[in-house]
Amino acid sequence: MIDINSIISEMTTEGSQVIIPLIQQMLGLLPDIPMIKLMVSFILWKPIFAALICPGFSTLGILLLFFPWIERKLCARIQWRVGPREVVRWLGGIIQLLADTLKFIFQEVIIHKDAHKFYFLQFPLLTFIPALLPILFVNIASADAEYPLVAIQSPYAIQIMLALICLFPVFILGMGWASNSRYAFIGTVREAFMYFAYEVPFIIAVLAMIILFGTSGSVAITEWQSTWWRWGIICNPFAALAFFIGSAMATSRLPFEIPEADQEVAFGPFVEYSGIGFGLVYIVCYEKMYVLSALMTMLFLGGGNGPYIAPLGDLSGAVWFLLKTIIVMTTLAILRPIYPRYRLDQGLGMGWSAILFLALIALVLSIIMRSVGMVL
Amino acid sequence: MEEGEKNRNIRILHSGVFTPLRRWGTKWSLWPCHFVTSCCGVELAHAFACGFDGERLGTLNMGIARQANFIIVEGTITRKMAPALRIVWEQMPDPKFVNVIGACGQRGGIFWNSYNIVHPSDVVPVDFFIPGCPITPEGLLRGVRAVQEKIEGRDRTTIEFKHVDLPSVEKEEHRVPTTPKIFAPTPAIRVDVPREVDWDFGKEVVNNLKAQLGGLYNSIAITDKNRIAIKTTPENLMEVARKLSDSMGIDHVKNVNVIDVAHERKFIVEYMVSGYSKELMPVIITIFTEIGRETEAEAEPGFPSLTPLWESANYSEREMHDFFGVSFEGNKGMNEKFLLAPDTPEYPLRKDFKVEEELYVLEEGVPLAPTIKPPEELTMPVSEETLDEAEKNDEMVACIGPHHPGSGHLRWIMRLKGDVIVEVNPDPGYVHRSMEKLAENRLYIQNVPLFERANISDPINMNLGYVRAIENALGVEVPERAKYLRTIMAELSRIGAFFYDAGIFSLFTGHSTGFMYVWAIREMILEAIVRMTGSRCTPSFIIPGGIRRDISDDVLELTRNFTFAIDTRLRKFEDIFVTNPVFIARTKGVGVLTREDAIRCGIVGPFLRASGVEYDIRKAEPYEVYDQLDWEATTGDAGDCLGRFLGRLEEIKQSVGIVRQAVDAVKGMPRGNVISEEILGEYKEVSDDIRGYFFRVYGNLVLPKGEWTSITEASRGTLLYSIISDGESNVPYRVRVVTPCWMNLRGIIEASKGERVADFWTVYGSFGYFPPEADR
Repeated sequence: MIDINSIISEMTTEGSQVIIPLIQQMLGLLPDIPMIKLMVSFILWKPIFAALICPGFSTLGILLLFFPWIERKLCARIQWRVGPREVVRWLGGIIQLLADTLKFIFQEVIIHKDAHKFYFLQFPLLTFIPALLPILFVNIASADAEYPLVAIQSPYAIQIMLALICLFPVFILGMGWASNSRYAFIGTVREAFMYFAYEVPFIIAVLAMIILFGTSGSVAITEWQSTWWRWGIICNPFAALAFFIGSAMATSRLPFEIPEADQEVAFGPFVEYSGIGFGLVYIVCYEKMYVLSALMTMLFLGGGNGPYIAPLGDLSGAVWFLLKTIIVMTTLAILRPIYPRYRLDQGLGMGWSAILFLALIALVLSIIMRSVGMVL
Repeated sequence: MEEGEKNRNIRILHSGVFTPLRRWGTKWSLWPCHFVTSCCGVELAHAFACGFDGERLGTLNMGIARQANFIIVEGTITRKMAPALRIVWEQMPDPKFVNVIGACGQRGGIFWNSYNIVHPSDVVPVDFFIPGCPITPEGLLRGVRAVQEKIEGRDRTTIEFKHVDLPSVEKEEHRVPTTPKIFAPTPAIRVDVPREVDWDFGKEVVNNLKAQLGGLYNSIAITDKNRIAIKTTPENLMEVARKLSDSMGIDHVKNVNVIDVAHERKFIVEYMVSGYSKELMPVIITIFTEIGRETEAEAEPGFPSLTPLWESANYSEREMHDFFGVSFEGNKGMNEKFLLAPDTPEYPLRKDFKVEEELYVLEEGVPLAPTIKPPEELTMPVSEETLDEAEKNDEMVACIGPHHPGSGHLRWIMRLKGDVIVEVNPDPGYVHRSMEKLAENRLYIQNVPLFERANISDPINMNLGYVRAIENALGVEVPERAKYLRTIMAELSRIGAFFYDAGIFSLFTGHSTGFMYVWAIREMILEAIVRMTGSRCTPSFIIPGGIRRDISDDVLELTRNFTFAIDTRLRKFEDIFVTNPVFIARTKGVGVLTREDAIRCGIVGPFLRASGVEYDIRKAEPYEVYDQLDWEATTGDAGDCLGRFLGRLEEIKQSVGIVRQAVDAVKGMPRGNVISEEILGEYKEVSDDIRGYFFRVYGNLVLPKGEWTSITEASRGTLLYSIISDGESNVPYRVRVVTPCWMNLRGIIEASKGERVADFWTVYGSFGYFPPEADR
């Protein structure tokens, strides 16, 4: 039996509402109708706000709508081109992805006769589970804030996020298997190999940070990095580098765009997807990027820490957090026009030699720093 | 094509709910699966590169049928390609649109009476045709806009025309051109017409040969400078070849040719061979025999193959088998078609297969072009042997192409063991447009634009090679100024082709920025060629005896300035791509061809030089003004993908130097007189500009009897034209073209053996393979 009253009282206790001075006046003007009041307080209830607005669903949606445009435009500028522009000329083509999305939605979905129909259709949807769930554990409040802004508070947040992120390739393998096409097979096997290449150093790099922080709760980590010289990237740059390269591998960015190399295996696991099916896998790649960038921001770039912006109140941390996340995403995106593609065996070799070595150095460094207590 | 397919996509877009959203989304998100079928693909690449940037319109080149909704058919669809076009169209999700660009896609263009083409409109429903040969990038983008307008609901049926009254002009009668074609009814075909030339080394070689071959030959003659013809019998052929190989060091075959002499009921089969030792480099020895032409019996006339001795003859022999039905015994590929499609007419190059004649005057009721039935079979089978062998050895067979983002326009049948390539079997001929057959039915001068279309990324060298064969036959000396101008254009064209290769290479290694950078440089080169000749890719500017018209000094000055701009941009390209550690890791030591392997496979040009053979025709047998300018041929020893690529980058720098020197030399010369007076005859006053007198001068060109072979250093290697004339007709009896890419195909196969799957594209990109040039 759910006790509505206790939930309402929990919603309205001090510190559980998001306070934004900029719109507080406006909220005050709302008539004292119980329903509206309740709904507004529900949305501004911190766990719900984190899950639905920021860094959760809405932020993700807006980012996904504009980030591919940013990426294409950035690539185009590096390549002496203009990039998407004519769609709404006075906006500079900024809603290009909206047009693409509408096209995908209304396009025919082809399921070829050799495909395993059931799995072929469900895997693009299922991929959203490991892509969306890690966001629930992201804390975007700054260390100064009295109360965190996070959907689920857990002392094991980082481990859970890591576990969900490592689930990703399973779904891609499933897609390739269900597609039943030779390019998809080759691409799937490549995906599996790349998974082996990055997973171990990636996990070790995160482990190094957990050892350094002495905690794996997202709130505690933000508090630990309260000043800029205590940010993870400064305390343990090796871990940051290993993590960054690992994320580039995990998101199939160039130079590690090996599983879906379009000149070689024609988008590998996704070769048979059309219409909204392809739209989903196209989007899910960016989602993966968002999650990994958010994790990088949390672990290495101080999370929501930054100068306090008074009018934004609790959202001040969110602004800094998003800014850092977008910078990481852009850095990942900018790899595309700069690097050619490694071969599969070279990617594997790097994963098991250079990057693993980097991660191990990071681990040792963390242990030393922790035991000596240099920064604690 | 089924009924009701036309405008089906528009009906889909205009039905159901959310129609405006649906139309808007589709309009701004037309993703073309670029169906690169022939040379127009070069201009498509220009349209989507940084010069014109088609991505502005929201069109993202996708390359994969399932995710695209728009086909841009680039030029010719051959019988072999037509099933692929249909399959790709059917794989695409609705609503889908088709644009056909280039003249070949409409009624065949310059190849209209070829035996191997199909009209794309018979295969798939077409939304818009964009004319031009090739189209310009502007035209292509205009076509994209046209589709967008069509999606919005505007169509050409809704365009309102303004009615105006024009003063009517009295209509003149259609005049037939004054030069009808003359075909000799029973031409006397000889390929060894002896000729007195001043060539001491040749006499020495002939004496040597006579002593060594003993009774194995019928006759030996010097047919021209650096050309020797040996006549022998089919039985003795192998023995003669072995003797040449052992004692003289002849190590490769440049050409395998069959000439059908139908009225004498015989085939002449000839092998053009040469060696890469210093003194033999410019020499071409033709070994030929005559065999009976069986017309009654079912069996194909047999002939001993030289492939066991010279591997480089392999693919050309298979090609000749397709064309003439001569079975080369000892070559393994004789039981299947190689270049031609299953439904192409049998033995199309035999003289009793006639192509449709050109009509100058259109008559009532006569259709404009031949009606060609599209193929009914939509399967593209792989040979049983390959599949069986793969199954036996537990391998996977993967077909790459003919429509694949990284296949080019041919099919590679790969046998894979894990991630390692066991063998790649090529399946070329998807752009085979039967140039050799068409050339037999056109005037000598009409073949200039025809052969240029073989490779529009390097048009001037294609043109130059053919013209040089004619000039050689007629004994025409080209004026000095014209020689310099030809050299400038040929080198610009070479730079352009090398940049083309570099762009494709960077795309194949996944680096789109490198592609964009070099395409920007190509844009400048094309601009220079436009200002000189008036055409971006197909100028047909070089004609027998000189060039069409003189080029002014300010255009030359502009060209010189461009070379400095190329330098700057080339440095930027090197910064981002050539010195990129990932690129070096991918290419160094990959796809190595040793000197012996390279010669055995018969690869040519910069790729042969990268394996350490110092063979550059511009040095070995200098033509134009290459011997008067200061430059060096580049060679390397590595023979890997990186070496092949860096060698060509170095050649670009040499070519830039040649252009600068030649421009400086031309500016000091008096203007005018760019066409040889020997060829102009009574029209000497047009020696600086041929316009208006073209057919009067060139219409009745007849070459002396015999075989006229020219070798030219085209950008990708040795380009060989061999024209056989009967001395009476004003059309060639047979023209044989061996393009460098055709010879290099064997090299790609050899170099990719035992490499990893991803390395196939590195090898392929490093060879600068241009399928229309290979398939002709």
